[in-house]
Amino acid sequence: MKTVRKIWKFLTSMKFAVALLVILAIACSLASLVTQGQTYSWYAQRYSERTAALIIAFHLDDAFHSAWFLTITAFLTLNLFFCSMAQIKGLLARTRAAKLPSETADVTADGVESPEEVFKRLGMPEPKLIEDAEGRETLFASKNRAGIWGAWVCHIGILLIILGFALGQMTHEEYTVYGVPGQSKTIGDTGLILTIDSFRVDLREDDTVEQYEAGITVRNALDGSNESAKISVNNPADLYGMRFYQNSTGWAAKVSVLKSGEPLQETVLCAGELLPIVDKPELIVYFNAFYPDYYYAGAPATASGRLNNPGYLYSVYYNGEMLGMNVLTGTDVLTIDEYTVTFSEPQSYTLIQIKRDPFAWLALAGGLVTMLGLFLAFYIQPKKVWAVREESGKWTVSASSRKGGELFRESFYRAVKPENGGENDG
Amino acid sequence: MVNIENVLFTTTLLLYFAAMILYFVFIAVKRDAVSKVAVIIHAAGLIIHTAAIVLRGIAAGRLPLTNQYEFATAFAWGLSLVSLVFILKFRFPVLGAFAAPVTFLIIGYAAMQSKKIHELMPALQSGWLGFHVSTAIIAYGAFGVSAVIAAIFLLRDKMKDKGFLDRNIPNKEKLDMISYRSAALGILFLTFTIITGAIWAERAWGSYWSWDPKETWSLVTWIVYAVYLHLRIRRGWRGRSAAIFAVVGFVCVIFTYIGVNTLLPGVHSYA
Ligand code: HEM
Repeated sequence: MKTVRKIWKFLTSMKFAVALLVILAIACSLASLVTQGQTYSWYAQRYSERTAALIIAFHLDDAFHSAWFLTITAFLTLNLFFCSMAQIKGLLARTRAAKLPSETADVTADGVESPEEVFKRLGMPEPKLIEDAEGRETLFASKNRAGIWGAWVCHIGILLIILGFALGQMTHEEYTVYGVPGQSKTIGDTGLILTIDSFRVDLREDDTVEQYEAGITVRNALDGSNESAKISVNNPADLYGMRFYQNSTGWAAKVSVLKSGEPLQETVLCAGELLPIVDKPELIVYFNAFYPDYYYAGAPATASGRLNNPGYLYSVYYNGEMLGMNVLTGTDVLTIDEYTVTFSEPQSYTLIQIKRDPFAWLALAGGLVTMLGLFLAFYIQPKKVWAVREESGKWTVSASSRKGGELFRESFYRAVKPENGGENDG
Repeated sequence: MVNIENVLFTTTLLLYFAAMILYFVFIAVKRDAVSKVAVIIHAAGLIIHTAAIVLRGIAAGRLPLTNQYEFATAFAWGLSLVSLVFILKFRFPVLGAFAAPVTFLIIGYAAMQSKKIHELMPALQSGWLGFHVSTAIIAYGAFGVSAVIAAIFLLRDKMKDKGFLDRNIPNKEKLDMISYRSAALGILFLTFTIITGAIWAERAWGSYWSWDPKETWSLVTWIVYAVYLHLRIRRGWRGRSAAIFAVVGFVCVIFTYIGVNTLLPGVHSYA
């Protein structure tokens, strides 16, 4: 039984917390050195096969979701939780004790003529006069009792952050939709349909991007209701309980296919998308990349972000085998047997990210509570000052401030003997 | 305007350098008059430094806190300001001899960066950026001062000539306290920095925490200072080990700030 208690005591101790925090810091710094989310071959190429094997074996490729990382965090959370629960009784007792003079003081000075002045100089509230059974008079004042709870509030805040983050990881939903104005796409299995009404890329003189802005309408397929919004980077919109982000952009073009001169199919294709030919699906045109201001310098390149000389890099596959790859510019067309493929009307497509994290508010609240706790712990320092009347009629002034330390002692001496500038001669 | 900013920046650099040398001379010759001149030159440097930053803000038409140069000069400004306040508040000119080289190194790092004013990419056009970066500057400046005082704490026993020391360096308990106060300010503001950063990331990228290396390292720094706080509570661990952690913490701050950008990949790489 004794050992069980000892183990429990250690598991809820601050010593263990410090050890866990040190381990967590080391784990995080190690993980930050390894690019996350890559494959064995990627690491093998970058480092060596042995290092790659170690990275995979220790889940350093996805460290922050690995079992060992979660284990450390879980221990820290439990430790913090039980430690905080165990502290409540003591904190309540300390809060109560803060309303009365203590047995022992951090600093004391006797022979003080006017204690009220000392209270004032120390910034204490108006002292209360207490008379005990023997008729001895004590002046007492305390302030900043809330500060006693600072560390505890901070720890609760940290627990809320961890809770909010963990619940968010388990419940959040995330979708991406991309397209050009006029297109409508379903958003996963949410029953919502997103229509891109407009999309604009504002360029500055120097070709850098000023802003991307998309107009969107979301329709609920079930009841037919809809809501519209404009979104740009840093200005997401909330519709139907989801948040819509203008995430990024890319190029799209109209692709038309003629068969023996007759129109066969026409669609808007984003760079990176495939187009199977409708009546011959084993024949596929792949739109590799788009260059708005095309030139050739050993490899396809673009001179600017402006549509001065559109170049379309495509490749053609037949039964999974690549037949060829080339760039079309100007009035070039691609001819494969009886099919003629043309690329035209290049335009920007928008990539919209759609997210729902029902617990983000909890993590934010945790952050604010943590800040509040830190503020209480550091800046609302509990202090109490009491003065007992001596037989001579002068007063013995005592004070305690658990956190104030040397600085508080100095200000106390300054308050008691302001004329000598706080030099400690007692 | 950019030219004037350049002149002011160079003047600042020279004044900080002069102040640093004078603080050293003060330690060597132990004359109070030297420390007074050092403090005046330090203050003059700070005023001109402030003017340079304000001017850049006007020229750019935004808060000048968005790239490596702007952040480095602001970081040096924070350190210069916090150290001057502590020197005056605690009548502690010896601090100058330790803080000025750190300030000078950081502003020297700024001098090596491109001073070109860039337009902001859309993700950076956010009011949260201002909060995020200005709280980081206060946090970093406070951590710097805390580390410098912790270093003095660790070196104090090694210094000879007790008479001069006793007059010019607070005793160890007070050094510990000042270092703690400064670290506490830093932790509060680092927490603020992380929260405002998370809010901004959520609005710009849709995710408030994505374990990007800069985020991870700010968390590591935060944890190191949390350890520092806990070490100080335990009587037996107070003082020396806390001082060591204050120095390690600042090394993490510097790594978070410079190392992460140059050595590790991530979304913060433009900053
Ligand atoms: C995870 C990051 C943590 C942070 C940022 C943190 C923060 C703090 C702060 C600010 C204080 C007050 C220090 C002061 O007033 O000088 C404190 C005290 C304390 N912390 Fe933590 N803490 C953390 C984790 C933990 C954990 C996991 C435990 C679990 C045992 C713990 C246990 C304590 C205890 C027992 C105190 C002393 C309270 C007192 O003396 O009033 N802390 N902590």
